[in-house]
Amino acid sequence: MSGETVAAQAAVQSAPRRKRSGIADFWAQYRRRPYGLVGLVMLALYIAVALAAPLLTPYDPRKTEFFLADRLAAPIWARFVIPRFRNAPPTSRYTIHPDQWKVERQERASLSFEEAGDRGETAVIRFEPSSEGGGGARSELSWRVHYGFNPPNTFEGKVTYRVEAPPDAMTQLSLAIVDPEGKEYDIWGTAVYGEQDWTTAGLDSRDLQMKTRLNMTIFDDPAKVIFATKGDYRLVLKASSESPSAEARLFLAPAKFNILGILHGLLGADHMGSDLWAQLVYGARISLIIGISAAVIGVALGTTIGIISGFLGGPVDEFLMRVADVFLSVPTLPVLIILSAFLGKNMWNIVLLVAAFSWMGSSRVVRSQTLSLKERAFVEAAKAAGASDAYIMVVHILPNVLPLVVANMVLMMPVAILYEASLSFLGLGDPRIPTWGRMLQNARAFGAFTELAWWWLVPPGLAITLLSLSFTFIGNTVNEVLNPRYRERS
Amino acid sequence: MALLEVKDLKMYYQTLRGQVKAVDSVSFEIEKGKALGIAGESGCGKSSMAITVLRLLPGNGHILGGEVRMDGLDLLSMSEEAFRKAIRWSRISMIFQGAMNALNPVHRVGNQIVEAILTHEDVSRQEAVDRARRLLDMVGISPRRFNDYPHEFSGGMKQRAVIAMALACNPDLVIADEPTTALDVMVQAQVLRAIQDLREKLALSMMLITHDLSVIAQTCDDVAIMYAGRIVEYGTATEVYKKPLHPYSMGLVSAFPNIAADKSPVRSVPGFPPNLVSPPEGCRFHPRCPLADDRCKTEEPASIEVGGNHHSVACHKVDVTAGGIDIWV
Amino acid sequence: MGFRTYLIRRIVYALIVLFVILTFNFAVFRLMPGDAEKMIIDPRFSPEARMALRKQFGLDDPPLVQYWKYITSLLRFDLGQSFATRRPVASELAERLPNTIVLFLTAFTLTMIIGTAVGVYAAQHRGTFAETFVTGAGLFTYAVPTFFFQLLLLMLFGYYIRIFPIHGTMSAPPPDGAFLRFLDRVHHLILPAGSNVIIGFGSWALYTRNTMLEALGQDYIITARAKGLPRRDILYHHALRSVLPPIVTLIFLSLPGLVTGAVITETIFSWHGVGRYLMDAVLQQDYPAAQGAFYLIALAVIISNFMADLVYGLVDPRIRVGAGERR
Repeated sequence: MSGETVAAQAAVQSAPRRKRSGIADFWAQYRRRPYGLVGLVMLALYIAVALAAPLLTPYDPRKTEFFLADRLAAPIWARFVIPRFRNAPPTSRYTIHPDQWKVERQERASLSFEEAGDRGETAVIRFEPSSEGGGGARSELSWRVHYGFNPPNTFEGKVTYRVEAPPDAMTQLSLAIVDPEGKEYDIWGTAVYGEQDWTTAGLDSRDLQMKTRLNMTIFDDPAKVIFATKGDYRLVLKASSESPSAEARLFLAPAKFNILGILHGLLGADHMGSDLWAQLVYGARISLIIGISAAVIGVALGTTIGIISGFLGGPVDEFLMRVADVFLSVPTLPVLIILSAFLGKNMWNIVLLVAAFSWMGSSRVVRSQTLSLKERAFVEAAKAAGASDAYIMVVHILPNVLPLVVANMVLMMPVAILYEASLSFLGLGDPRIPTWGRMLQNARAFGAFTELAWWWLVPPGLAITLLSLSFTFIGNTVNEVLNPRYRERS
Repeated sequence: MALLEVKDLKMYYQTLRGQVKAVDSVSFEIEKGKALGIAGESGCGKSSMAITVLRLLPGNGHILGGEVRMDGLDLLSMSEEAFRKAIRWSRISMIFQGAMNALNPVHRVGNQIVEAILTHEDVSRQEAVDRARRLLDMVGISPRRFNDYPHEFSGGMKQRAVIAMALACNPDLVIADEPTTALDVMVQAQVLRAIQDLREKLALSMMLITHDLSVIAQTCDDVAIMYAGRIVEYGTATEVYKKPLHPYSMGLVSAFPNIAADKSPVRSVPGFPPNLVSPPEGCRFHPRCPLADDRCKTEEPASIEVGGNHHSVACHKVDVTAGGIDIWV
Repeated sequence: MGFRTYLIRRIVYALIVLFVILTFNFAVFRLMPGDAEKMIIDPRFSPEARMALRKQFGLDDPPLVQYWKYITSLLRFDLGQSFATRRPVASELAERLPNTIVLFLTAFTLTMIIGTAVGVYAAQHRGTFAETFVTGAGLFTYAVPTFFFQLLLLMLFGYYIRIFPIHGTMSAPPPDGAFLRFLDRVHHLILPAGSNVIIGFGSWALYTRNTMLEALGQDYIITARAKGLPRRDILYHHALRSVLPPIVTLIFLSLPGLVTGAVITETIFSWHGVGRYLMDAVLQQDYPAAQGAFYLIALAVIISNFMADLVYGLVDPRIRVGAGERR
């Protein structure tokens, strides 16, 4: 039998492995503490939200899903709470299928439908060749839509078309909106010379092009002017062609017409029209990942240093504790700012940096515990039996400082989460991932304040607060149960 | 009339688990110039009794009955302010358990004595300082160390400084609560000698609380043995040592062979002190008593006087114990 | 160990930390992967000018020589020239430093006074509303991110109820007359300083209360009561006086936190101070400015740590009169 096994056995018999056998025991004590339970329930809720994120929202903020609604759209429920949103529009999206167009007028033109491969069903307008002096052929289609809200800020649309015509032909296409009173607004138009393959033209009420076409200044809002009243609107598509030599054909794929909502989703939309609820829900994942991994790495580092320092003592101890002192004296946030600016905006950089600047506390606690364990009989026994230092540290000391380590780790998590949130808030976070800190930063930078959009500001802040609170509750309770002598004062 | 008269005193702590009956119907007297020793295991209520007399109870401690009289004056019915001014330190002073911490670390030792004098007596600061120096000198500390801070004193010196402080206002009664615990044996002996000397010199009355019977043997006239909030035996020190009548006292006495030999006084009586929230029915000592029978389990023994000299004991088995057999073998 | 030894130890320690910070600065700004030149010399200069500056900055020297030059120039507060403004970083910082000092001295003093007073009051009145309040306030401090709370205050009092200015240290143009100008300054100061006070005083009060309660449970307090001292004397002369060393230390130990908090507070309230300068510099990749600001902040932290040690030594007789042990 080797010396180490003897040592191990000696230690098994005498080591005070209290609480080792008793997870049930631990739980029996833990559940008697209301704060601990509240913390646990809250944390469970966060984890559930993080895991179920894809079920809770149809949007994925990691993809660029812009303009799901108008910029800075308010939550749907704002309709009932805030007077100015009482009759505000939600987002309406329409796809106008070819057969939904109603023929208003046709001169020397005819409408038919045909299957066009991957485009699906298309509408085909055939224009007869223009005769000498007989003028062009024209067709006017319309599509009716009801609008029953206060004016929106933005509408947008897409027209997908193709022209098959001889080279000398000129085909014109335009869109107009006719309001319930019959006033017509010419919002878009194009001319095609000869032939043109499938083209998608986007139109947007915020574009200068449309405003110019409507004789408006850049400060005017076409959407507000056009949809000023409630009632039936018509979207009118006008097509005409001058084709001297042969028949011209215009193909129309399904068109889109969207009125971007001033109300959207559970929490509204950000400055890019992205869904805020989705960002909040996915943010829980990021915060948990960052908080937990930074705390685990940091405390693991601290535990290692603490055990080595306490067990070896002497100059090693002196050196390591001086290093800890220096780390404690360094202004953490500015260092993190500088380093994360240099290392690049990457989530794992932040995790490692936060870990690198948060091991000192746990190393001190573990060190002092190690110092007292070192004097115990089972360590002496293991030493006498010839166990190596490393073996004693791992097998005898580590399990006995574990309760302290666990509590420290839980208490470390809110700190890590706050650091990450601060860095993201300062604009140093990973731009590719949605975090609560970045939501706050965006809210500040992109107009939540002037729009009084508190629903953009409050949820992420509250989410951070409650998450750190739940970790604090759990950590303190774990500490009370496992380490009654080290009980946190606060 | 006795200097201090305690009759039927009851003091309970209100805790989450219920009332802790720390002092339960305790009576005793201290004559002028005499010293009473109170002995018992830790947790038997002896320190609680000391702070009850000085009315220093924590918020959850309540006096539920009995009287404490000093020269006939009812101490429990006095107003807090009057008690503070007239009794604390000027008539009853105290030497605290673990005197290492009884001195405030941020104030000079001398000033802590002066402060006591100035609170109670209308003297100039200079007079108070002079007296404090004399007191330090009296307990064997050079008056030059008046301006030292507590951390500059050794353990024994601190304890002696605390004794000097206790004497600052010429009190009628000094309560000493474990004055020698936490000191090493040599220093214990010095401190005890100092206490004894002073007692003789100043004709002090004293109430000395300790778990260490040898200390009482050295310094006290009378002794009361306390168990689970009650006094189980009371008598002159010599009598109780020579002829203890309660099984518990017998256990304590047999555990202390000789002061000089070694210092392992307590934990000689097998078993543990009872929970004072719900003490055992009948005689509180019966779970640990080798003589216990059914009567001991149900009927509480009254304190009866045995022989002369006020030697009294609360035990159903006095006839057995008086026989002088060693029951703890 | 006498006070002198203690003092010398702390000075040596502060110097070591300073040295570490300087080295860190050097390492980050010069030895980072990539061309060191672009960290120090404005990339917009012409190639000839850059060559000349390379020589002037000694970028072609061996690293050790560079290191030596670097350290001596930082110690002389020669912090280089900002890329963004082409002015010396040192003078830009000198303009901003007073603003930062005003903000943090105000916040710090108020936090300390209110926190300690509330803590002492709560310690005296156990089991009352004061106690619940202090515990709640302490928890609030711990859990609520400062910047979130500040954003809320800013939205509430800057935008909803427009009673406080939303940015800056003073109105532009400032009002006439010294008194009005002073009021204008105060008006701008209320939100940034006040939010720090509200966030900060809770943990103070809680700490004071806890240490006070601990002190009140000490044997020497029972001694003081037994001595028949009046309540006030016990509370102030014995309890408060004996918890002074840890409290005073904590006061100074909390300074670094406040200094680093400057970055966030100043960013949120667009306060024209050193913290915001650091942030702007980092985001604009104005490296000389960033390292200058960082150096200044680090220096402030080192000094306040040293002050904490110094004051602790002065307040605690165990150190002042010797025989004390290293903390």
